[in-house]
Amino acid sequence: MAIVEVRNLYKSFTRGTESIDVLMDLSLDVEQGEFVALMGPSGSGKTTLLNLIAGLDNPTRGTIMVGDMEISSLSESELAHWRTRNVGFVFQFYNLLPVLTAYENVELPLLLLPLTREQRRHQVENALGLVGLTERMGHRPGQLSGGQCQRVGIARAIVTDPTIIVADEPTGALDAKSADDALNLLELLRSELKKTIIMVTHDPHAAGRAQRIVHLEKGRLVGADALTTAY
Amino acid sequence: MPPGFDPTLNPAGLSPDFSLLELGLYAGMGLFVVLLLLTLLALATLPIFFLALFILDFVLRGFQVSPDPVGKYAKLAGLVFRSLRRNLLRTALTYVALFVLTGMLTLIYSVVSFLGKLTSEKQAQQMVIVTEKFAIPSMMPPGYASQVKAVIRDKLPKEYQPADIDKNFMTWSFVGGSLSLEKRTQENSLFLFALDPDAVLNGMMSEQGLSPDDLGEADWNELVRVINIVKEDKRNIIVGEDRLQIMGKRVGDEMTLYGLNYPDITFECKIVGAFPAGSRLGTGAAMRYDYLQAKLDEYRALKGKEHPTTTRCLNLIWVRLPDKESYERLAAIINDPATFSSPAVKMETFSAAIGSFLEAYKDIFWGMKYIIMPAIMVIMCLVIGITITIGVRERWTEMAVMKVLGFQPWQVMGMIVSEAVLIGVFGGMLSTWSVYFLPMAINSALKAAKVKFSFFDSFACPPEIIIYGPALGILVGLVGAALPSWNARKVKVSDVFSQVA
Ligand SMILES: Nc1ncnc2c1ncn2[C@@H]1O[C@H](COP(=O)(O)OP(=O)(O)OP(=O)(O)O)[C@@H](O)[C@H]1O
Ligand SMILES: [Mg+2]
Repeated sequence: MAIVEVRNLYKSFTRGTESIDVLMDLSLDVEQGEFVALMGPSGSGKTTLLNLIAGLDNPTRGTIMVGDMEISSLSESELAHWRTRNVGFVFQFYNLLPVLTAYENVELPLLLLPLTREQRRHQVENALGLVGLTERMGHRPGQLSGGQCQRVGIARAIVTDPTIIVADEPTGALDAKSADDALNLLELLRSELKKTIIMVTHDPHAAGRAQRIVHLEKGRLVGADALTTAY
Repeated sequence: MPPGFDPTLNPAGLSPDFSLLELGLYAGMGLFVVLLLLTLLALATLPIFFLALFILDFVLRGFQVSPDPVGKYAKLAGLVFRSLRRNLLRTALTYVALFVLTGMLTLIYSVVSFLGKLTSEKQAQQMVIVTEKFAIPSMMPPGYASQVKAVIRDKLPKEYQPADIDKNFMTWSFVGGSLSLEKRTQENSLFLFALDPDAVLNGMMSEQGLSPDDLGEADWNELVRVINIVKEDKRNIIVGEDRLQIMGKRVGDEMTLYGLNYPDITFECKIVGAFPAGSRLGTGAAMRYDYLQAKLDEYRALKGKEHPTTTRCLNLIWVRLPDKESYERLAAIINDPATFSSPAVKMETFSAAIGSFLEAYKDIFWGMKYIIMPAIMVIMCLVIGITITIGVRERWTEMAVMKVLGFQPWQVMGMIVSEAVLIGVFGGMLSTWSVYFLPMAINSALKAAKVKFSFFDSFACPPEIIIYGPALGILVGLVGAALPSWNARKVKVSDVFSQVA
């Protein structure tokens, strides 16, 4: 059963008077425990699609099911609530809060959930242990390397045990070695923890680590993965 | 006239003869000095501000390990403190600006409410002063005392009269004397007010500080004791402690004073008590009016003719009237040349003098209250608003990230508002508190050091500013943060990332 079901998705932005159609009649399934790479030229709508699946924005038309939740019609505040439990985000530039330590950065989303302090500590330590940064949990982002920051970012993405993990060019700002570490981690999340991962990338090498590559061009899926509207 | 206390002046010591230019000049200079002092004070309290933030943060950390939901919210609140600490210079500058502006506001508020109280006191009891109309110094026949009393009793309608005219009435005669006729010096001369000792006990001089409230119970009881001794013997006098020091005399000493403005009269005096040092009468002295009368009688008996000053020995008359209305009615009668003609007299009230002084500058006070004060508040909001706006701009992505992680818009908004309110409340609180308590502290330090300098006595900020200051800080924080926090609330997470990525 697909954990992400995108059906006949349209997204257009209005800039001034003209409207730009970014995604057009797009349908996509992602299976539970699947690691999908999303590729395509710049401006093809990869980030837009990822944002919609992750509940950061509402589509113009079409439906998005994640788990058993139809998220395309949720309000901003409902989406925020939903994201905390269901989506883990990994960003290109890590986006850690510079004033917080690694531990506190990872703990941040947990503060929004009804957990006890012990439960939080347990989950944060697990997540940091998984990315191999237990030793560094008292450090601030400024005291960590880019690769380490991205690992903290990954720990933050998994700490709430979300339904899906989305990553927008997670290796885009990393050197080859750190990028490899991050990709190893994502693979590990899939193989060991059976996480569902959707990753946008320009890097064919990174995409090669995924189980499936989806190509996006001018707002439509191309190639074998394109689903027919009759699906 | 001795320095320090002049019974012909109104108690505020305000002279109504200021020119507008002078006032403007003083105001300008005063403003500069006030700004400078406030800035220094702000810088001096900066460590307290940061210490307070540190302590609050520390306490919060304590709560962070306590069970949820307290621990959780303490963690979120901790974010606010970290944001403030992030750019220390900006936080400090904002604090200083708010401190100075609140300080200005406090001072203006204090002046306005002080003056407002003065004018409204016009409605309450009126101390009025009767003097000779066309001559300075005022010298009236002694019979004027009973005549003024008679006018009050007979011509003023009952409802406008004081309950007991004798207890609301006093006369002043000025007597200068010297220890030596040949050589008059500062050290051997004494200036005395000849009064009825009961006038002080009747509270006629409470506005001059001779009251249980102003003196404190112990000093007041001492004064009552001394006055009762004065009542025992005509020759007993009370001399201010400062004056005693200058003269090298002490309580218990007897002395012969040769009259200066009463030539050929000698007064045999015994010092039976002292007015407290540093008080308004610290350099003055008081004797019994009936002793002066007795001496004038003695002169007549001895020389077979009146002393030349006998018919002009009454310098001032004070009357305490129930309200402004009675003052106005009585003034109309007394100021009428038909009532008193040789010499003519005039009757004024202390607060009427202040009132007419204030009347002249009504527009300035109106402007202070309704233009300058609101303007300062607006500037305060702008200062906070700008600081917070810059902070929000800097952290635009961070706030988007928090929203991505699931923080609700109001939570992000709340964080920003809290930052503004924190700076506001400390700026407002430390500013009003220093403006309120610092003069008090200086004053008591001066008192402890026995320095006779009572400038700070005369002007005190109203105590409500202790609350108003922090409250204003909160308000200004809320208003100032309104726009930037609203913007932060509206951060569209998807926009931020499609731009960044
Ligand atoms: N908030 C927005 N307002 C207007 N236009 C937008 C907005 N977000 C994206 N777009 C437009 O949508 C199109 C797709 O953008 P998107 O960010 O999804 O591309 P992308 O595939 O992620 O590109 P890249 O590889 O460069 O990150 C672009 O033309 C972009 O200008
Ligand atoms: Mg993109």
